[in-house]
Amino acid sequence: MALSEADVRQIARLSRIHLDDDRAARLTVELNSILDSLQPIKDVDLSGVEPTFHPIEGLVNVLREDAVVEPLAREEALRNSSSVEDGAFLIPTILGGGDDA
Amino acid sequence: MSIIDIASLSAREITSGIRERQFSAREVAQSALDAVARRDEAVRAFLQVTPELALAAADKVDSAVASGEPLGPLAGVPIGFKDNMHQIGTRMTCASKMLENYECVFEATCVGKALSAGSLPIGKLNMDEFAFGSSTETSAFGTTNNPWDLERVPGGSSGGSAAAVAAGMTTVTLGSDTGGSIRQPASLCGVVGFKPTYGVVSRYGVVAFGSSLDQVGPFGKTVSDVALTMNAIAGHDPLDCTSQPSAVDFTSNLDHGVEGMRIALVPAMIDAEGVEPEVREATYEAARNFERLGAVITEVELPHAELAMSAYYIVGPAEASSNLARFDSIRFGHRASEAQSMGERYDLSRLQGFGPETIRRIMLGSYLLSAGVYNEYFLPAQKVRTLITDDYHRAFEKVDAILTPTAPRAAFRHGEIQDPTAMYLSDMFTISINIAGNSGISVPVGLGKDSGLPVGVQLIGKHFDDANLLRVAAALESCYEIDRVAPMARG
Repeated sequence: MALSEADVRQIARLSRIHLDDDRAARLTVELNSILDSLQPIKDVDLSGVEPTFHPIEGLVNVLREDAVVEPLAREEALRNSSSVEDGAFLIPTILGGGDDA
Repeated sequence: MSIIDIASLSAREITSGIRERQFSAREVAQSALDAVARRDEAVRAFLQVTPELALAAADKVDSAVASGEPLGPLAGVPIGFKDNMHQIGTRMTCASKMLENYECVFEATCVGKALSAGSLPIGKLNMDEFAFGSSTETSAFGTTNNPWDLERVPGGSSGGSAAAVAAGMTTVTLGSDTGGSIRQPASLCGVVGFKPTYGVVSRYGVVAFGSSLDQVGPFGKTVSDVALTMNAIAGHDPLDCTSQPSAVDFTSNLDHGVEGMRIALVPAMIDAEGVEPEVREATYEAARNFERLGAVITEVELPHAELAMSAYYIVGPAEASSNLARFDSIRFGHRASEAQSMGERYDLSRLQGFGPETIRRIMLGSYLLSAGVYNEYFLPAQKVRTLITDDYHRAFEKVDAILTPTAPRAAFRHGEIQDPTAMYLSDMFTISINIAGNSGISVPVGLGKDSGLPVGVQLIGKHFDDANLLRVAAALESCYEIDRVAPMARG
């Protein structure tokens, strides 16, 4: 099942990356080539095999003591943002603007 | 010109020289900074050099020496950190425009531990953007050059970490390894690079790529230096729930040899297509050396290892696409100033901030995790992961370590490999170890007969048997009389 350019545009929407026409065309070729190289995984018989989501077995949940710890100071948390106002992150309007976000 | 030259010294020689007051930590720091000034214009391993931090750390060591206070295991040892590690007082870019101006507000556990052990931070090291690559060519700030041949790549993604050691600019460095990103550049630059068992070193504060695959580890000129660094950085961290307690002294049995140990070759790997003859020969020579040391050389099959590449290029991008969702331009990262709406701001900031390989991996991962596709690729990949892990478990019932090439070939030229899927083959021998979580180390075994460039072999160990793997590596290392820094760093 090859990816179409429309599929690639849909993936870009899911990934929140703007694609111009050139790049969409190029990525369609590249992603299809990568997917072709992943074919071996589709050809192998995996009936009765359980998935492994984590390489180390036997991990158990350990809860830390419910103690107050010093959090990152607000000015530190905001230090790397390019839009800050009144001690908060400033973002464009997201309600009522007819925006897709 | 400084009084001493760190290029010729191991971490052990530096710590004992400082303890015995043959030289000061400040002289060591100055020597490392001089080496950077002399050689990094050609090598370009560093994205940022931190002389103030290095000299301040050196002064702390020197005053501890003067007052007779106890010294840490890395006291006075020049170190560099891959630029995906948070270090207070530095920028951290992940070699991406996305984080070009990011200033660290907290510290990675591995960095903090290395620094409290007394090491001297020389700077932050170049890498493939967000660690996506095997050549350091995807760095947004230019590639690093291999100190053995400046026209060639240092490997990647931790290319700067390998090159800085090979060029004698630092004594040890830290890197991260998701599919071979420590071992492959170590091989290409002729240094030792160790990926511990998953969970041995905390990942906290190291920008995540594939969370179930990533592991931090050291580079050094010798196995002993790598073991010394492991003593400083290993152990449980409340801030990484996958990290494990470590009560091991990684240096304790380095000289115990391999007599009677069983070390296995994997015929299918040595004979694999794309492996250069000089790499094959070097691997067999390593096996003969083990035999001379009294080890038993045997063979094991890893029948599902050939599926590792496909599984990795599903699991890795899937986890990466999730991890890189945090780069939304709001809390940190590049912001597209022309964006009018929130949606545009996400879409344009990410387009402008990420390079082509990063965009490819995010797109691939988003697709692989999307509804309907999950069952076609991601779930089968995780089942293959079970098969690969079981292969290793079965193999390690019979043997103590597995010996393979680290990379199919020596360092290639800049720009020589353009096709992304061809580049992915650089990691054909290293990837399955991350899939299964085992430890792996690349040990330099001299220069290739045809290329004249460094070649490494990989040793693979059982889960949490890291100290024994280092012992096997140290035994192999003892068979070779080789230069551990490139010619440019000698004399």
